[in-house]
Amino acid sequence: MPRIEADALTKRFGSLTAVDRLSFDVKEGEVFGLLGPNGAGKTTTVRMLACLILPSEGSGRVGGHDIIKDSMKIREIVGILTENPSLYDRLTPYENMSFFAQAYGLSDQQQRRSRIRELLDFFNLWERRNDKVGAFSKGMKQKLAIARTLVHEPPILLLDEPTSGLDPESAKEIRDLISSLSQRENHTILLCTHHLEDAERLCSRVMIINRGSRIIIGTPQELRNRTSNKTAIEISLKVYDLRLVQAVEEVEQVSEVTVDKSRGRLVITAEDPDNSTPEIVRRIVYSGGEILSVSIVQPSLEEAYLKFVKG
Amino acid sequence: MRASKVRLVFWKDWLEVKRNWQILLPVIVIPFMFAVVLPILVMAIPSLSPVSTSQQEDPASLIRALPDDVSQELQGMTAQQALVYIMSLYFFAPFFLVVPLMASSVIASDSFAGEKERKTMETLFATPLSDGELFLGKVLVAFVPSMVVTVVSFLVYSTIVNMVSYVTLSRILLPNTVWILLIFGVAPEIALAGIGLTVMISTRVKGFREAQQISALLLIPILMLVFGQLSGAMLLGPAVVAWLIAVFGILDVLLFQIGIRTFKREEILSKIA
Repeated sequence: MPRIEADALTKRFGSLTAVDRLSFDVKEGEVFGLLGPNGAGKTTTVRMLACLILPSEGSGRVGGHDIIKDSMKIREIVGILTENPSLYDRLTPYENMSFFAQAYGLSDQQQRRSRIRELLDFFNLWERRNDKVGAFSKGMKQKLAIARTLVHEPPILLLDEPTSGLDPESAKEIRDLISSLSQRENHTILLCTHHLEDAERLCSRVMIINRGSRIIIGTPQELRNRTSNKTAIEISLKVYDLRLVQAVEEVEQVSEVTVDKSRGRLVITAEDPDNSTPEIVRRIVYSGGEILSVSIVQPSLEEAYLKFVKG
Repeated sequence: MRASKVRLVFWKDWLEVKRNWQILLPVIVIPFMFAVVLPILVMAIPSLSPVSTSQQEDPASLIRALPDDVSQELQGMTAQQALVYIMSLYFFAPFFLVVPLMASSVIASDSFAGEKERKTMETLFATPLSDGELFLGKVLVAFVPSMVVTVVSFLVYSTIVNMVSYVTLSRILLPNTVWILLIFGVAPEIALAGIGLTVMISTRVKGFREAQQISALLLIPILMLVFGQLSGAMLLGPAVVAWLIAVFGILDVLLFQIGIRTFKREEILSKIA
């Protein structure tokens, strides 16, 4: 059953249509990626689903509640991470967390303290709990903002650029956390991101939008398959020899061989890479070639994204 | 509306206010100037200094510029006694209307426009706190400290005035009915007017400073009172205070009606968007 549904969701600001008849759904436990360039309408879509602004047209449901009629119920079950960390710089991490915990209804003091400690410990911020947030680095603020998003254990998360400003190690921790929240705890996650690596690793489906409209929706694999670039076989040779290229070209399924002489590499396009690779390797070896590595390279989500966004 | 949630918003904003010297400084220094420094300079030092010839003079020239009822109050006083009397009860009175206005506008600007400027509004609005709870919590965080400052300033001022008047007039002057009405009737209404105007402005401006500057517009009628008193055209007597209570009461109702209407998540976030 979908936990997030958008049906022809539209938002206009005066003459500007920020979101134009957007329809999609996110299933329970799914990580759904919303991709698009700046100004595509991602943040406005999230704001409508978080009941921060009303749609001009269309409808939406979050956790089974109507975004227009049941805004308070939706706010209780949604955790939102905005583009900016949106933290109170003059308060400490503990005070920030405590304020939001109480605002989201964690009235029991013991329970609240224990939840805050758990999250600050997880993000390595417990030791800094009494420092002013204003003195924190961008990465620390982002971690604290994510901790705040999770403080009331919301089943539905709307995350806008969660790994923004984080170092590679912290970004990986956040990706692992999102993956764990989805797979182990069945959280439903809508992820807005520019980081296609995040989308590729985390999302079961992604939707690319531009100028408020949907361009394409599907699994990352489906989107990759829609690009004109085909899967290629990359073979690195110890010594490049023209005879080896001729031998590969004789394989029936091979349609194109590109040579990178400087790196001793052949990039081969074949109809069925998985099945044709053993035959190609055999031909090279029989022709006296020495192979250093073989890899099957798929078109990236980045290529697909650029193709769809640029048109 | 849940009182615990209003208290929560109040407490969060209060923590922010009390850690910000940009806000605390004017809220503490200006009342200190009005309640302590100026009264000592104007009244206490001259009255404690060696007897001057002016003390022996007839205060007729001073009294002539004043309304009849006040002139009668000064009958039989020396010039210095009349000066202490007029300064204590009339001259400083409008300054105590500046205190709640300044304090409430500065704090409200930070609470409403400052939150917008620091981009913390969106996550606050994403919580299940109602518009009413957020609004009331923020109004109280501007209102309560501004009234505390006003009342404390009044108590300090009264002590100084009474010490001086006891020396010069052999009696204490404050509190009297007019000042009680001023501090507990007009001042809260002025504080609320400052907050109401700041809320209205805050939805339209980008930041704290801009909101604060525009809300200073309310100082104009109060400065008119100051100059009215200085020129002798008007004194803050019971009739004027009653008028002020009525006028600011109506102004509060109007400003808050508009403020409540404009303090909507949709309205504010659409402008940020």
